[in-house]
Amino acid sequence: MLSSINSRAIVPVACAVTGFVIACCVLLFTFVKEDLIRGEIHHAVDLADTVIKSTRYAMLHDDRETLSNIISSIGDQNQVEHVRIFNKKGLIMFSREQGELDKFIDKSAAGCNECHAEEKPKGSLGTMAQARQFTNKDGKDVLAITAPIYNEPECSNAACHFHTSEQSLLGTLDIGVSQDPLKQTLGQLQNRMIVFSGMILILTVGAVCALLYRQVFLPIKQLADFTETPVNGRLGEEFPDVSGDIARLARSFQEMTNRVHELETKASAKPDDDS
Amino acid sequence: MSQVQSKPEGQPVPGREDLRLRIETRIRTLERASGNGLWSMVCFLLVSFAAFDGFSFLPELSTKMRSLLGTPPPAEMISLALVVYAFSGIVRTLARMSRNIKPYLGLMHAAFFTVFYTFYHLSGALQDNFWAVFFAGISVMGLENYYLWTHSSAALKKERALLKSMHEKGAEQ
Repeated sequence: MLSSINSRAIVPVACAVTGFVIACCVLLFTFVKEDLIRGEIHHAVDLADTVIKSTRYAMLHDDRETLSNIISSIGDQNQVEHVRIFNKKGLIMFSREQGELDKFIDKSAAGCNECHAEEKPKGSLGTMAQARQFTNKDGKDVLAITAPIYNEPECSNAACHFHTSEQSLLGTLDIGVSQDPLKQTLGQLQNRMIVFSGMILILTVGAVCALLYRQVFLPIKQLADFTETPVNGRLGEEFPDVSGDIARLARSFQEMTNRVHELETKASAKPDDDS
Repeated sequence: MSQVQSKPEGQPVPGREDLRLRIETRIRTLERASGNGLWSMVCFLLVSFAAFDGFSFLPELSTKMRSLLGTPPPAEMISLALVVYAFSGIVRTLARMSRNIKPYLGLMHAAFFTVFYTFYHLSGALQDNFWAVFFAGISVMGLENYYLWTHSSAALKKERALLKSMHEKGAEQ
């Protein structure tokens, strides 16, 4: 019976608390992950803007050698997986990978189709739409940003250039950064949350179990032991160390047993009196 | 002067027979209610299994259908609604348990959690949030069905004891 009370009281509470804590942890992890990815995208967009601004002077002066050197230097950085600039037609003009120079970009590929999905390509994209996540040929997860290089009055008025003022877009910078540091951070966060949730669960369920045992199950067990051991038909004088309702119950039971014992004694003594 | 008529042996008493039938009906209803809880849990697990697979057996929604449905709610809002629903579901079940109020059938919860899976699926965030819906569903429905089962078991025990005592009394007479 005691084990039945144990299981009936503790199992549902433990299951409900465990399920709810796990569900909340999964949601919290998803929120944090989304926030970190959003931050990473903003960081990558800022990086792309920095690259465009750094190359602006070389572009205005049509200094292709300097431009090529800048792109190579940026591409050699540890976390940069690829960096390339292609013109409006999709022809790769500058890239860290020398093998992909003078080749066309696939406009239907991820990162291009956000603008080129419809017949008339979009002129501009929001910060989040500029980003795409994919696994490159080396098996690394990459976050890539495509940043358009717009025509400016300095570009169309420059003596060396052939861009007309009607052209709105001159080219696009495509830069990809490795997602390994982000994945490492998320992995650490996940492990810490599992440990933290485990501790919360153990503490909560443990506290509920301990309190129930101390306040309910132990007094009931003492009461059961007390009622099961009558000495010569009477309950023992050693009253269980309980208080409250259970003490009242024990006292009533003791009185009832004693009364029954007295009646039995009287009843057994009666035939002798009659004789 | 009152006349006491003795009943012929083996003939059932009309009032008692009616009561017996009512008890048996109540027993069947309680057994069915207890089984319904189990069925709702099975339904939820089947939907969860389909959701884990990304509802791949369903055809892709066409662009026209998507535009008809409109923009899906943001995943953050769905998550917030899920937390509120799971929390209030657990609190309401615990409150009903403490006041010994008749439990709900779990089918309503199964339907709500299916809606959560559907919204996450349409928002494209089901993969990230699947386990959250699953564990929220298991905890809410598990607690509700546990209460339904204990409540039905206690009532069944009471009704069967009543039926047994009726049979015993009938046999004595």
